[in-house]
Amino acid sequence: MGLMDEAVDAVETEINNLKLNAKEAIEQLGAEFSGAVYDSILTTKLGKVVGWAQKNALWPATFGLACCAIEMMAMANSRWDAARFGAEVFRASPRQADLMIVSGRVSQKMAPVLKRIYNQMPEPKWVIAMGACSSCGGIFNNYAIVQGVDRVVPVDVYVPGCPPGPEALLYGVIKLQEKILREAGSEQARQRVA
Amino acid sequence: MTNEEIREQIEAIFESAIQHSKVTAHGELEVRVAVDQFLMLMAYLKQNRDYDFDYLSHITGVDYLDMDPDREFRFEVVYELFSSKKDHHIRVFVDLPEVEPTIPSVYHLWHGADFPERELYDMFGFIVMDHPNMKRLIMPEGWEGHPLLRDYPLTVEEIAFSHNPDHKSELIKTQEDVKVDPWA
Amino acid sequence: MGVTEQGLLERDKDTMTLNMGPQHPSTHGVFRVVLEMDGEIVKSAEPDIGFLHTGIEKTAENKRYIHCIPMTDRLDYLSPPQNNLAFCLTVEKLLGVKELPARADYLRVIMCELGRIGSHLVWLGTHALDIGAMTVFLYAWREREMILDLNEMISGVRMMTSYIRVGGVAKDATPEWLDGVRKFVDYFPAKVDEYESLLTNNPIWLDRTRGIGTMTKEEAVLWSMSGPVLRASGLNWDWRKRKPYSRYDEFNFEIPTQDHGDIYDRYLVRVEEMRQSREIIKQALDNLPDGPYKLEDNKISLPPRDTLHTSMESLIHHFKLVSDGVKVPKGSAYVPTEGARGEVGFYIVSDGSNTPYRVKLRAPSFMGIPGMCKMMEGAFIADVVAIIGSIDIVMGEVDR
Repeated sequence: MGLMDEAVDAVETEINNLKLNAKEAIEQLGAEFSGAVYDSILTTKLGKVVGWAQKNALWPATFGLACCAIEMMAMANSRWDAARFGAEVFRASPRQADLMIVSGRVSQKMAPVLKRIYNQMPEPKWVIAMGACSSCGGIFNNYAIVQGVDRVVPVDVYVPGCPPGPEALLYGVIKLQEKILREAGSEQARQRVA
Repeated sequence: MTNEEIREQIEAIFESAIQHSKVTAHGELEVRVAVDQFLMLMAYLKQNRDYDFDYLSHITGVDYLDMDPDREFRFEVVYELFSSKKDHHIRVFVDLPEVEPTIPSVYHLWHGADFPERELYDMFGFIVMDHPNMKRLIMPEGWEGHPLLRDYPLTVEEIAFSHNPDHKSELIKTQEDVKVDPWA
Repeated sequence: MGVTEQGLLERDKDTMTLNMGPQHPSTHGVFRVVLEMDGEIVKSAEPDIGFLHTGIEKTAENKRYIHCIPMTDRLDYLSPPQNNLAFCLTVEKLLGVKELPARADYLRVIMCELGRIGSHLVWLGTHALDIGAMTVFLYAWREREMILDLNEMISGVRMMTSYIRVGGVAKDATPEWLDGVRKFVDYFPAKVDEYESLLTNNPIWLDRTRGIGTMTKEEAVLWSMSGPVLRASGLNWDWRKRKPYSRYDEFNFEIPTQDHGDIYDRYLVRVEEMRQSREIIKQALDNLPDGPYKLEDNKISLPPRDTLHTSMESLIHHFKLVSDGVKVPKGSAYVPTEGARGEVGFYIVSDGSNTPYRVKLRAPSFMGIPGMCKMMEGAFIADVVAIIGSIDIVMGEVDR
């Protein structure tokens, strides 16, 4: 169990205590008003807040493989501007990144390296399979290419296209943000850091 | 010098070692040489100041297993040479047998032959003699087989398009075609 | 303690092995090099490639000629039209096609030169970024987006156009597209000046590039370097001039060369090449001939779509070409062309069927890597990144 989890648990316990203590005081308020306070402020879990913060600060690893890497670079540039979604800080070291965009075909020789880079990333971490090749092998169904990077690492979002345009990749990033927010505070999010 | 003049000179010097030579309809000079005289010919082409074949464009192998099973030699190696000073161009063919295909290295003549010769070993299994660093180039160390041989399978896999992750992982586990196990 | 000879000798024995790549932001893909270091100095560099091996040559043996064209896009993914062109020229040579319609050749030339500019822009941006100049990266990509938009307009795809086909091009250029190209041609020269104003006289850039990674003309020829690297070393070798294809002899352009063969000279050559490419595009637009955009031989290129409903013959040709593909006579051929990185060519062996028997790509990056590692010997560790950037390798065509 990570430090963050302990903190989340501690705060949740604290909130529950608060809720019990404040119950009487809240019930004295007007009926419609008390409900709003009870639902929105006190029951908001810290996990949600953490998830919200995580989704807006995705740091992708600089992990260019093939053609798709060029479109990934285009996404970071001024025209597409991934900074609008907080995903523009490409980190050269996987140890500083929490998002791996597998941009291109993964060969049999690269697969162990990719797995290792994934293992080096700190938790929680997410993976986007960018393009047809990393999603399912694409047009290269042969001895050299791993037929989908999901055989090596767990994938959160698949972006189709050969190569997908930067707008498609941005849509993938937005979908991932939605997923992070949806999972936030839940058991799945907890497993990610376990 | 014209291609025809070069061809005649080479024919006169190497005589029987030149199995075949011609100037094609596109005006390209093609020479087929026996493997035992191959290095002599290459050194001559490089060092003769009149030809000045100082630039190696590429080296490639061809496996004639499917195209012509009765061919005397199964393999062929192709060398493409240019001259940086003159407008010369020659293509040299060497036939190699199926058993122990061996060819001398031309690395000491053209250093650009470093990678293509290693690729010959990696992709076709040809033994390149006297190469300074002979080992696999593209495929990982310990890979079995040489992918560009015609009897090496392309290894097409069935792809599972499914939303059910359990189904997919089960399907992958029964796949025996996957050479390297990335899960390991 | 002063540096004694004995001390130096002892230090020589004490080298450090340093791994670089395959996941490294400055190796332009998945290139790995093992460096033997003596302090800051590189003693030897051993390249390790194959991390992007896609088996394209093997796959091509199992596909029809038309199916090979999209795969050639994915070899050198920075300038795909040039790979298409090299492949199509070789197949056309095997088919015995003497001459294409002028419009087809001109459209091919426009696409290839746009591809060259686009490729050089990526090189300029990433090379400058590696050395530490971030602004150039953003500027270069701004113009590249315009080229990608033009690609999308004519072929439907931003990068992998597959626009050049055997016997011509995929479809005719629209007036809107030609307008777009003209706008780009008018807009671009000022931008090249802008890049130059950022780098050419920049003292940091000069210090990092001048006199580093030098290669003499003889060395460059010995190591089979090609393209801008060869020209920066003082050899005027460009296949567009030496053996013109696609009517390059009808255009008036210069081949830039430099003498020192260092990183700075390669930079100058490539920047000037962008200007010359723009010049070629301008001339092609001005003199773009009318007429068919592909061969009218229906055994090689598809008949026009609207004739399918009226002509039985067209329908049969269409059916044969789509279902069976073009049959290429027995033989082998190689056509050298000038790509963005140097000599690109396909050596194709045909057995007379509709699939190639053997396809081999002569890739300039692949041939250039041993020479590049030679340049690294004796250089500082920080210069390794600059040297890799100056050769402009694309791993797609190295590993194939």
